[in-house]
Amino acid sequence: MTARNGTIGRGEIVARLIAAIPANYLLTSAATACIARLLWRGMGVDPANASVAATLISFALFAILALVAFGARSVVRLWLWLAGSGLTLGITLWFSLSAGARI
Amino acid sequence: MKDSLRQSMALFHTWSGLLLGWLLFAMFATGTAAYFQDEITRWMQPEVTGDADPATAAQGAMRYLNSVAPDAKSWYISLPNSRSATTQVYWQPSGERPAKRVETSALLDRGGHAITSRETRGGFFLYRFHFDLHYMPVLWARYLVGVAAMFMLVAILSGVITHKKIFADFFMLRFGKGQRSWLDAHNVTAVLALPFHLMITFTGLVTLASMYMPWGIAANYAEQTAFSEAVFGRSAETVPSGRHAPLADLGPLVRNASARWNDERVGYISIANPNDAAALIEMSRAPEAAFGARGQTATFEGATGRAIGTHQATGSALATESVMIGLHTGRFAEWGLRWLYFLSGLGGTVMVGSGLVLWTVKRRARLSDPSCPHLGFRIVERLNIAAIAGLATGIAVYFLANRLLPLEMVDRAEREIDSLFLAWLGIGLWGILRPAGRAWTEALAIAGACFAAIPLANAMTTSRGLLPSLLAGDWTFVAFDLVMLVLAAGFLLAAVRSAQLRTKAKAGAKPRGANRRATSA
Repeated sequence: MTARNGTIGRGEIVARLIAAIPANYLLTSAATACIARLLWRGMGVDPANASVAATLISFALFAILALVAFGARSVVRLWLWLAGSGLTLGITLWFSLSAGARI
Repeated sequence: MKDSLRQSMALFHTWSGLLLGWLLFAMFATGTAAYFQDEITRWMQPEVTGDADPATAAQGAMRYLNSVAPDAKSWYISLPNSRSATTQVYWQPSGERPAKRVETSALLDRGGHAITSRETRGGFFLYRFHFDLHYMPVLWARYLVGVAAMFMLVAILSGVITHKKIFADFFMLRFGKGQRSWLDAHNVTAVLALPFHLMITFTGLVTLASMYMPWGIAANYAEQTAFSEAVFGRSAETVPSGRHAPLADLGPLVRNASARWNDERVGYISIANPNDAAALIEMSRAPEAAFGARGQTATFEGATGRAIGTHQATGSALATESVMIGLHTGRFAEWGLRWLYFLSGLGGTVMVGSGLVLWTVKRRARLSDPSCPHLGFRIVERLNIAAIAGLATGIAVYFLANRLLPLEMVDRAEREIDSLFLAWLGIGLWGILRPAGRAWTEALAIAGACFAAIPLANAMTTSRGLLPSLLAGDWTFVAFDLVMLVLAAGFLLAAVRSAQLRTKAKAGAKPRGANRRATSA
C-alpha cells in the first residue's frame, strides 16, 4: 500500500482508523444528543420525536464521518477538526443539560 | 488528490468488506429468505392447511393458555396473519426462576390446540438468525450485526466512490473473463439494486436504532420507560391485585379492535396479569396492514373487557421511523412486491458473495507463487467456501431435516437447527481438508445436490409433493419446490463452471497468469 505512491503510511492508517470508528462514534453520539436537545428545547418539537429524529440522522452522520476520516487530505487537520467539534458539542450539551432537566 | 481519495476509499472498501463480508453474506441470505418466512413455515408444517381468523385464533389461544399457565405474569399472543395459519404464544411464569423458551411457548393451530408433531421453528428461525444469530447471547449478536450493517453502509458509499465508472460499467457484464467478470458481477448486482441496498442497510440499522445509538433518547429522557410510554403508550408494569377474576373473552375484543381500525387485522395481543382483577389486555394492529410497521394499539380492562383507550404515536420523526421499519421488513408487501424484495435480496447476497470471491481472484493474480499462496490468502479462500457454499448447504439441510427427522423426536425444532449448523461446519471442514480449487467445485456440487433433494424428500414423505400441489393449485408449495430446483440448478452450474475453470487453468497456467497480470495493472 505504501509502496504505490507513498500517500498512506502505517501510522496514518491507524490514526485514520481510530478517527473513523471510536472517535467517530463519540462525536456522532455527542452530535445526536445535541440535535435531540436542540429540536426539543430550541425548536419546540416534542421530546420523543426530537430524540427519534436525532437518532435517524445519526446513522447518516456516522457513515459520512467515516468516509471523511479516510478521505480527508491531512490526518493532522482531521484530528484537530474532530477534537474541536467534539469539544464544542460537549460544552453545548453540558450547558443544555444544566439549563433544562431531562424527563 | 482525487486519486489518493479514491485509493483510500478502495482500501477501506476492500478491507471492511472482507472483514465483515462473511457475516453480511449470512445476514443477506437468511434475511432474503425471511421475506417468505410465513411460506417457509407453511412448507415446514405440511400438516397445517387453510387460513385462520384472528378472533377465533385469539379465543383458542386463550383456552390453551388458561389450561397451561392460568396464573402467569403475562401472556403474549402472536396471531396468524393473512399468509400464515398458526398462532404463537409465549408466557412469563409467575415464579421467579426464568424458564427455558421451549417450556414457556407453544405453537397453536387455528382452534388453539398445540401442534406437537413435526415441531419446527420454520421460516421464523431464518428471520431471527439474520439479526440474532445463534448459539450466542442475543445482545452480542445484535451489536455484531449492527457493526456489520454500519460497515455495509460505509462500504456501499465508498464502493460508489471507488468504482468511479460504476454506472458506466453497469452496462458491461463480461462473462468468462476471470477477474474482470467477478468485478462486473459485483458491480452489476451492486448497481442494479443500489437503492435497495442503501435502503435495506439504513433501515436495518433503524430497526435496532435505540440499541446502537441510545444517546438521542438519553439526551431528553432520564428514564427509558418515559420514552417507551410516549411511543408505545404502554403504562409501566401493572401490579397484580391478588384477587382472582377470569379474563374476558378475547375473540369479541379482537373484533372490537379491528372494527375501530377500519377492519385492519389485529397482529399481537399482550396480557398483563391474566385472570387477576387488575389484568390488562393490549392489542396491536398487524404490521402487514399498512406501510408503517408501528400501528395503533387498543387497551382493554382484562376482567371486564371494557375499552380503556387507544394509542397511536404521532409526529413526523416517529412516522418516518415506523415507515423505515415497515420498508425493511416488507410485511405490507403483496405478492409482486414480495418477489421483488426477494430478488433484490438475492442480488444483495450475490453482491456480497462476489465481492468476497473477487478479493481472492484479484490477489491470486499477484501471488509470486500461485501454487503455494501465503497463509492469509489461504484462510480467506477457505472461509469463502465455508461462508458461501457452507451456508447454502446448511439451509438446504435445514429443510431436508424437516422432512427426514422422526416426527415425534424430542426437541425436534432444535435438532433441525443443529442440522443446519452441522452441515455448515461439515462444508467448512471439507474446504480446509481439500485443495481449494477442488473444494469449491465439490462444496458447490454438494449444495446443489442438497437443494435438488428437497423436492424429492418432500414428495416422498408428504402428500404435498410438486405434482399433487400443482394439480391442487397449491402455489405456495409449488413455488417452494420450484425455487429449490432453481437454487439447485444455480449451484450445480457454478460447480461445473468452477471445474471447467480449473482444467483450463491447469492446461495453460503460465500464459493465463501473465494475461491476468496484464489486465489487472
